[in-house]
Amino acid sequence: METSDLSHHISRRFNEDLERVRGQVLTMGGFVEQQLAKAVAAMVEGDSLLGETVARDDFEVNKMEVSIDEECSRILATRNPTAGDLRLIVAIIKAITDLERMGDECEKIGYIAARLASQERPVDKYREIKHLGRVVQNMVHDALDAFARMDPEAALRVARQDRLVDEEYEAIQRQSITFMMEDPRAIRRVIDVMWVVRALERIGDHAKNICEYVVFMVHGKDIRHVRIEDVETELKQREGRR
Amino acid sequence: MGHPWWGIAGALAIELVRNLVNLHQFEHWLRNRNRRDPPDAGGLWGDLVSQVSRLHRRKQFHKKRLLSLFRELRRSTASMPDGVVALNSVNEIVWFNRKAAELLGLKRKTDFGIPIAGLLRVPEFSRYLAKGDFSASLRVPPRVGDATTLEFQGVPYGEGQVFLLVRDVTRQSQLETMRKDFVANASHELRSPLTVISGYLETLALDDTLADDLRGPIGEMRRQSERMTTIISDLLELSRLEATDEQVVGTPIDVAGLLTLLRKDLAARDAKAHAVELRIESPDGLMGDQGLIHSAFWNLVDNAAKYSPAGGTITLRWWTDDEGGHFSVTDTGPGIAAEHLPRLTERFYRVDPGRARDKGGSGLGLAIVRHVLQKHGGELKIESVEGRGSAFSCHFAPLRLVRESVAKATDSRYSAEQHSNE
Repeated sequence: METSDLSHHISRRFNEDLERVRGQVLTMGGFVEQQLAKAVAAMVEGDSLLGETVARDDFEVNKMEVSIDEECSRILATRNPTAGDLRLIVAIIKAITDLERMGDECEKIGYIAARLASQERPVDKYREIKHLGRVVQNMVHDALDAFARMDPEAALRVARQDRLVDEEYEAIQRQSITFMMEDPRAIRRVIDVMWVVRALERIGDHAKNICEYVVFMVHGKDIRHVRIEDVETELKQREGRR
Repeated sequence: MGHPWWGIAGALAIELVRNLVNLHQFEHWLRNRNRRDPPDAGGLWGDLVSQVSRLHRRKQFHKKRLLSLFRELRRSTASMPDGVVALNSVNEIVWFNRKAAELLGLKRKTDFGIPIAGLLRVPEFSRYLAKGDFSASLRVPPRVGDATTLEFQGVPYGEGQVFLLVRDVTRQSQLETMRKDFVANASHELRSPLTVISGYLETLALDDTLADDLRGPIGEMRRQSERMTTIISDLLELSRLEATDEQVVGTPIDVAGLLTLLRKDLAARDAKAHAVELRIESPDGLMGDQGLIHSAFWNLVDNAAKYSPAGGTITLRWWTDDEGGHFSVTDTGPGIAAEHLPRLTERFYRVDPGRARDKGGSGLGLAIVRHVLQKHGGELKIESVEGRGSAFSCHFAPLRLVRESVAKATDSRYSAEQHSNE
């Protein structure tokens, strides 16, 4: 009935500290999710007010990052965590950096959405952004779920989706180049759209990073810069040995 | 010679062996008591065996009963139409039924013991849970950007534990949105034809060649079409206010300047010439949407003028204290009976249906005031004594207040207007 290995500490307070800071990370994650959803909606629906709201609210994300960072430093200094607890704190410190960057990308999308709202909209009504936005939103959501559940398998599943986002990004890029060649007057707008797509792709990367921290946290294995398939076979072998 | 001793020793040995055998059988049976029959033994061992097996049967019976009760309970909660999640004192998931798993995407194997706010990360939900005030329910999607709407209702029990009831209200909220959209669209569509009608009526009224017996009806038609215009613009304003639940941030408002302006406006329009008393007891301003706050305050002032007889006094008061900022409008009118007070802010609610129509109001004024205040995290309070008068007061949280200098510096509209008028 208890969460993995966060429950065996003699010091109850330490446990509470760890749980609280983990909760704060997920609250921050929830806020970033909301920012992302709003930013994509502002872009797709041409809602300049919503775009401005997203850009304005980014300071909340930054504020949360600073406060969680301080909390982590405090835990490191006063509790000297080891093994799994240390990995948890390290993973949190990294994860909030990624969340903060996601927030910045959302802010960027918000600004551009506000600017583009007053301009002529393309015939397809930014359908590709809507689609890519949904994929990335799901990635962020599932990555945070994996973080909450400490579920490395789910994390790897999410990390694999990043390739999908990259392919989509490539496709939109090619399409945009065609648009620009067809109609040079649209170049300005298409470049803005490219920025948005790029921001979404970056958010996907940050979500993948968070998934990697989940694997690191649970297995103590660093899987950055390693092919996901290799990681999967190795983790399976480990399971087999046990 | 030791013959009898050998006999005794032999008997004792046999007795010991018998006891050991019995003990062994007893132990063996105890270990596999569910599968084996109790051993046959006489004397003390037999008593012991029957005692233990009786205890065992009784325990089995209770266990079975509890188990079937528990299964029954689980089956019945599983078939409940609403989701139920039990949370402990630190809001970790202790238990949930099948519907809750379906609505919230919870997993039976992994999600026990996980703080629910970690999985349901919608910021409004986290705030609702953290606040711990479950007097109202909360409507949010289960995840950010989801099309479904869930209604959460916390039910506290025990020591800090909470039962969380979850219902899918997507259909209801869609219907509500449809209703709101319909009102907004209908009002919008009605406005254009009405503009044409009032335009012609205005031209007709100014026409010198108009027959005298038509002047009365035309004038009445003009007044009524003006009233319709007011109702429609109020309806539109209401639907705009209802469109989002988000709080207004706004800009600093110079309340003292606003009240001075309201008094001037009232003096210009008021046919009954009330005495208006201005009591500005705080120089502080208010953070809010200027247009909305103006419209809310004006509605209160206008109501006071409409419903109090000529010669009465209307008092506008603005003061601040530890609880925040307060604006009140007090009149010396006929007052309102206590039974009407709770329903006064409903749309089109009339205290006296026959009489109030000729006052020319839309019946939406107080509904607008209430919505504007909600958007500013404020509250409308109404006190009234029949025959003595009524007091309508708006209360704002301390966070909404701004220092005088800030308000004056940012909000120069009123002072500029005053200068230009002088």
